Amino acid sequence: MLIDIKNLTKDYRMDSVEVAALRGIDLQIAHNEFVAIMGPSGSGKSTLMNILGCLDTPTSGIYRFNQIDVTGLNDDDLSDIRNKHIGFIFQSFNLLPRMTALENVELPLMYAGIDKLTRMNLSRQALEKVGLADRMRHRPTELSGGQRQRVAIARALVNSPGIILADEPTGALDTANSIEIMDMFRQLHAEGNTILVITHERDIAACCKRIILIRDGLITSDTPNLN
Amino acid sequence: MQVKENVNKAILGLIDHKFRSFLTILGIIFGTASVIAMISIGEGTKKQAIAKYQDLGVSNIIVRDKDMTDPELEEVRMKFSKGLSLEDAKLIGEVVPGVVSVAPQSEIKIEAKYGDRSAKATAIGVTPAIMSVLNYRTEKGEFITSDQYDRQLKVCVLGANVSREMFGYDEALGQSVKLDDQWFEVVGVMQPKALFTETVGELASRDLNNDIYIPLSTFNKRIPKANPLTSEVKQLTVKLENSEQLISSAAVIRSLVSRRHFNNDDFSIIVPYELMKQEEKETRIYNLLLASIAAISLIVGGIGIMNIMLASVLERTREIGIRRAIGGKKRHIMSQFVTEAIVLSITGGIIGVVLGISLSLGIAWATEVQTTVTLYSILLAFGFSVLVGITFGYLPAKQASNLSPIESIRHE
Repeated sequence: MLIDIKNLTKDYRMDSVEVAALRGIDLQIAHNEFVAIMGPSGSGKSTLMNILGCLDTPTSGIYRFNQIDVTGLNDDDLSDIRNKHIGFIFQSFNLLPRMTALENVELPLMYAGIDKLTRMNLSRQALEKVGLADRMRHRPTELSGGQRQRVAIARALVNSPGIILADEPTGALDTANSIEIMDMFRQLHAEGNTILVITHERDIAACCKRIILIRDGLITSDTPNLN
Repeated sequence: MQVKENVNKAILGLIDHKFRSFLTILGIIFGTASVIAMISIGEGTKKQAIAKYQDLGVSNIIVRDKDMTDPELEEVRMKFSKGLSLEDAKLIGEVVPGVVSVAPQSEIKIEAKYGDRSAKATAIGVTPAIMSVLNYRTEKGEFITSDQYDRQLKVCVLGANVSREMFGYDEALGQSVKLDDQWFEVVGVMQPKALFTETVGELASRDLNNDIYIPLSTFNKRIPKANPLTSEVKQLTVKLENSEQLISSAAVIRSLVSRRHFNNDDFSIIVPYELMKQEEKETRIYNLLLASIAAISLIVGGIGIMNIMLASVLERTREIGIRRAIGGKKRHIMSQFVTEAIVLSITGGIIGVVLGISLSLGIAWATEVQTTVTLYSILLAFGFSVLVGITFGYLPAKQASNLSPIESIRHE
């Protein structure tokens, strides 16, 4: 199992009131799955995604990533896991505005301590893969929304991560671009990547092979998507 | 991550924010500049203060006949003291170890006349030895030679002021001037000397540029004494090999002269080097005061850096969140911001050094204040400004690295 979660909970303290965001999640995701997590806002799906992405730690429960118990790791180790095994894709792209597309894609490799030349080559390949070979020297502001998200996908792919976590990847895009991005995900999945998409759009979830519904911090349904 | 790449990125980032970067380093620039300018004023003042001791010679000991009233003079003569004499000079040269040469001199206030112009001056009878003992240099002509001394010629060398007062821009060399009622031929004019504005021990303050030098032999033969009991010479300047044995040599000279004067307390001993050290110590406190005022301004500059860097951390919260999400560790974020602080403060330091040096030169040019830019002040100001920049850059960097990645990535 790539991801193995048992009885995971997460409480937030807001003005001395305890809020339970996750109330006991059990979840397994294997290699090369293509999963959608759906749920209304406030259901806890973002919290789950943050914990899966090692950006946050659970209040209780067990989270094994690639057989490693993540709950006991310190900040540096969590950074390492994010860097080497997880590729993030965000709704608002989250590219650094003062850097070119190429530099943005290079960033994870820089934190991984890879030398400049290798970094350039790997980043170039990643950008070519998402079809932006001719936009490498552009800054994000000089790119369209779809192109920006493709830069973000290249950045997520460049470290050959174990899983790609996409949080509302098409939320800021029009239909044509959304279809394009989802096609790309499908292709990446076909190439053997594990992909987890968080969305509240039915069309997007319909592209995935497995759909998990979440409500009030609990998984309410977990079904394969056959079509 | 290599340091060089970090620095390059920091420089590019700061260039992207020219105005913000400029505001940030403004405090450092002025802090550094004011430290250098203040120390240069302090050093200039000190240099001025110790120049007079250097004129007296740092390896010299001065033995001087005390100024006495006529009854006092009669009393010491009754007690067998003959006062300071050429014989004393000879003996000091022979007996005291480490003595290079002894220059005796006599003094009298006279009026010098040339044509219808006149000047109040001090006639000083000297031996040619004084040239080397006191580093005397002539602007024009020659100082008194051994030959002129031996033949007791009526020649004189004018101090810079006396020359200017009597001759203006006319040629003084070869002219005859009247000292009281004797005619002397001008053979040289001295270089200007530092003003002797304070009394140093028994050496009353006076302007050395008003001196007129004549051979001591001529002086004793031609110039009448104010009182027949006046000592043969007024002062002996003893030059030693180096300044290490000044104290012990001074003691030897004191006991020697004292014995020859039958224990009469009619002379005093001045060690310019010791007086110089003392003065240096006093000006050091003054310098320290100036430097600390400047240091306070540097610290204020550092607080400026901290302010703007804190604002920059806030502004870049989202960037920090993104960097953390894709695997940047706390220390990566930390080093990014600290590198920026270092680049900023070094840049500010360099600009400040240039400004400080210009300021010092400007002050010297525009005002009476003498300034001296020293290497140590540059190093001190630069080092301190970089230290302040890093110290005050550290706190915002620490804060940046401790931001939670989830919250900062949502930050708009």
